[in-house]
Amino acid sequence: MSPSRTPAGSPPARTARELREATIAARRRARPEPDSNPLRQGLRLERVPDPCAFVLFGATGDLAHRKVVPALYQLWRTNLLPAQFSLVAVARRPYTDETFAAEVRASVEKYSRVHPIDEEAWAELAKRITYHQLDFGDDDGFNRLGDRLDELDKERGTGGNRLFYLATQPSQVTEIVRQMGRVGLDHEQRASGWRRVVIEKPFGRDFESARHLNHEVEKVFRESQVYRIDHYLGKETVRNLLVFRFGNGIFEPVWNRSFVDHVQITVAEAIGSEGRGAFYEETGASRDILQNHLLQLMALVAMEPPTSFSADALRDQKLQVLRAITTPDFEHVRGNVVRGQYGGGWVQGEPVPGYRGEPEVDPESETETYVAGRFTIDDWRWSGVPFYLRAGKRLPKRATEIAIQFKEVPLRLFRDSTGDPAPNVLAMRIQPDEGIMLRFAAKVPGLGLDVRTVNMDFAYETSFVVDSPDAYETLILDALLGDASLFTRADEVEAAWAVVTPIINAWAEMPAPRFPDYAAGSWGPEEGDALMEREGRRWRRI
Amino acid sequence: MAQDLTTPRPVAHSLAEIDSQLSKLWARAAAAQAAAALAEAAVVAAQAEAAARAAASLAASLAAAQELGAGAVHHVVARTSVLNLVVLAVDEVTAERCAAIIASTASRHASRSLILSAAEPDGEPGLEASVEALALTTAAGRTETGAETIRIRACGETGLHLASIIVPLLVHDLPVALWWPSDPPFDSHRAERLLPLADQLIVDGSSWSGSGLDTMAKLAAAAEGLHLVAIDWALLRQSRWREAVASVYDLPDLRPHLGAVRRIDVEYATDDPGDSAGNTNVVRPLYHVAWLASRLGMTVHEPLRREPDGRRVATLRQRNHEVEVVLQPGGSDLPAGSTVRVVITSRVRGADLVGEVRAGDRDVQVTVRDGGRDRIKRTYLAPRLNAVDLLSLSVQEHAADSVSVQAMAMVHRLLGVESGPRKGADRG
Repeated sequence: MSPSRTPAGSPPARTARELREATIAARRRARPEPDSNPLRQGLRLERVPDPCAFVLFGATGDLAHRKVVPALYQLWRTNLLPAQFSLVAVARRPYTDETFAAEVRASVEKYSRVHPIDEEAWAELAKRITYHQLDFGDDDGFNRLGDRLDELDKERGTGGNRLFYLATQPSQVTEIVRQMGRVGLDHEQRASGWRRVVIEKPFGRDFESARHLNHEVEKVFRESQVYRIDHYLGKETVRNLLVFRFGNGIFEPVWNRSFVDHVQITVAEAIGSEGRGAFYEETGASRDILQNHLLQLMALVAMEPPTSFSADALRDQKLQVLRAITTPDFEHVRGNVVRGQYGGGWVQGEPVPGYRGEPEVDPESETETYVAGRFTIDDWRWSGVPFYLRAGKRLPKRATEIAIQFKEVPLRLFRDSTGDPAPNVLAMRIQPDEGIMLRFAAKVPGLGLDVRTVNMDFAYETSFVVDSPDAYETLILDALLGDASLFTRADEVEAAWAVVTPIINAWAEMPAPRFPDYAAGSWGPEEGDALMEREGRRWRRI
Repeated sequence: MAQDLTTPRPVAHSLAEIDSQLSKLWARAAAAQAAAALAEAAVVAAQAEAAARAAASLAASLAAAQELGAGAVHHVVARTSVLNLVVLAVDEVTAERCAAIIASTASRHASRSLILSAAEPDGEPGLEASVEALALTTAAGRTETGAETIRIRACGETGLHLASIIVPLLVHDLPVALWWPSDPPFDSHRAERLLPLADQLIVDGSSWSGSGLDTMAKLAAAAEGLHLVAIDWALLRQSRWREAVASVYDLPDLRPHLGAVRRIDVEYATDDPGDSAGNTNVVRPLYHVAWLASRLGMTVHEPLRREPDGRRVATLRQRNHEVEVVLQPGGSDLPAGSTVRVVITSRVRGADLVGEVRAGDRDVQVTVRDGGRDRIKRTYLAPRLNAVDLLSLSVQEHAADSVSVQAMAMVHRLLGVESGPRKGADRG
């Protein structure tokens, strides 16, 4: 029975006329206010965030200087930050507003992707920089920070809107969040005055610690206020992956187990531990890359089309993939996941030491600098299609690529050809040389019927001849605008750890690995290649 | 990094000569590129044992490359992979100005640009052309893309047959944008032949003569009749205004005011106090109204008419109430026709909300008064768009932008030309 349209207390409509009139009256009463702003439709300029204060914890650290402040400068230079803006730098070291601004000016000079520095734009941004010295365990310091932010709201018209960016050591996140909760920095106000917190990876060390961290953060902030940043998701090609899949009609019909033979995802780095030996000793490739970058890329490749481009619609679909990845048990890990550690060798024409010879690294270290695995997704679209993921340090070059290899043709018609056409491959290069390549067979010109494989290549820089924004620019702007699409939700983090934690646990039960097992400058240990070769496949030469 | 390959500027007098000049330019570029690549290869090879062999190979290849660049003519490779841009300049000065703007956008949009101007209408028929090419090296220094500019002066009767010159010079299978920088003669024989060639028509309504409204009406009709994507810089220039106006209603509690607009005032600058002659271009002020009306579901109750005091007024309807529209001339340091301020007055439950937007050279200021009290004061950093920005934005449009299409259709209705001119409607 359909619900009555008459208001409570009115006699129910009996005739068609009464029902029609009641329907009109109900529509008038419940006329919905527009939930979106029609004037926003089709605006050519990027939306500018609300007036706000950007509170940067860990402001004297490497991340702040290399990435965050240069990204803010770039956003400011291109008029994508509001005029009523404050950068509140928070750290332990003693600085004045001026000395801190001078120090970050040098960093912007060094790390900005656009040169020369626009002095006028920088001067305007520098006027908006405030330094606040604070020990993260100091209650009084946080009280003063709260007062200072209130004053800045009045002085600079930032309207109570605050983005807290935690560019700190992971171990300090819980304490900072607790302090913010104690002082009430998380409290949003009704008309305006949003509060958001950006947290850098790693989000925990394993499933339990991630759940604990999420729990601690959720004691203070609602999930909708939390932006977990994985900078890979802000890269242009990663965002283009969504456009490529869901903005083109020709790929989605073949994007499934009927046509795809397997998927390879590689995140290769040429660098070693780069002075972060102590950090890397506690993380390794599985925590540093596999749990976040690799599994996020895998989720974007494999997810079902979302019903909209809203943050939760996207993240719901990624979550479905992460939860459908077969949980690796001990035997699976032994047969399908390979770890390795580099020894000395030559990279890009330079001799480099082995991992165990790097600063801050245990000479007997068992930390993996390479990880490769064969994963499967238990759903209708991907059942039986292997996803090969690999990541490593001190590989021959820096390269990140997703390759979809399609099945071979069912019948080889061109038997007389001197070479077999290779299977079709669709490769998306994330870095460097961002672009997309499609490999297919073509006839060699001539009287015979010789077939060769050729590449159809799309390169961003050739087609658009404009610089892509840095991932941090994209993500910081999104966070200021309240768009969480490219940030990771708590349940995604936990689902990813549910895949990686059993691998780490299984390794702990195995005998000590025979490290080092690959030379710096090679593509990883032989077992990594064997992982694919035993199934008649091989890693792409990238 | 851009490298001008045009030294010295070649001159052509026929389409065959233009094609030949293009071939030579790119052949020279290819030779230069090959020589550079080989030189680089030789340096690498010299570090290895095969230095002697590489040097011999380099010498032979360089000789071949120089020969190629010196005289050989090859089929032009379509390096212009984005669009054909055809400019119809009214005179040499305009052609020069457009060429400079195109050169500045070349790093953003590789294109083949044809800049045509008719000269000496009573002279002997014929054409004079020059060909320029830019090789663009990206920051990484690895890839190259090209931009070509062909400038053609069509003399005598040839100037009446520009379409016959343009078509053979278009790169096939690429969109064609027709940029008409001055008043497009929509009623002319020339327009009749040229407009069907284009996918996009780029104009600047704010530069049109008189009030611009007559040409506006014809533009709307032409765009609709020919399924052209019409891009008017007068509308593009308002992007920064629109962002600011839209921001007023981002606050959820102010959103209901979008359905309760009572009055739209647009004040524009004029050289003539009170715009007594009605000759100030009002295309930009009118677009503000048209955009708001089309976005907010308004209909035209009474089309735009000119009052004796110089104001232009119209009446719109939104839901079941009327919306008064006033375009008011005013004194200002800004160039005539520029918008000075936009004021939107709305009323919900008896309380007026007045949103006022003003723009300076580098920013836009928003002030909102709610029930007589200040509610919002905000400044947006949004500099005026220059011609290079405007051309870049224009050529990015590959398909009809529904917001612009609807705004132009609303202009059409505001001018009373939806189904033939209405009595009393302001067209001049």
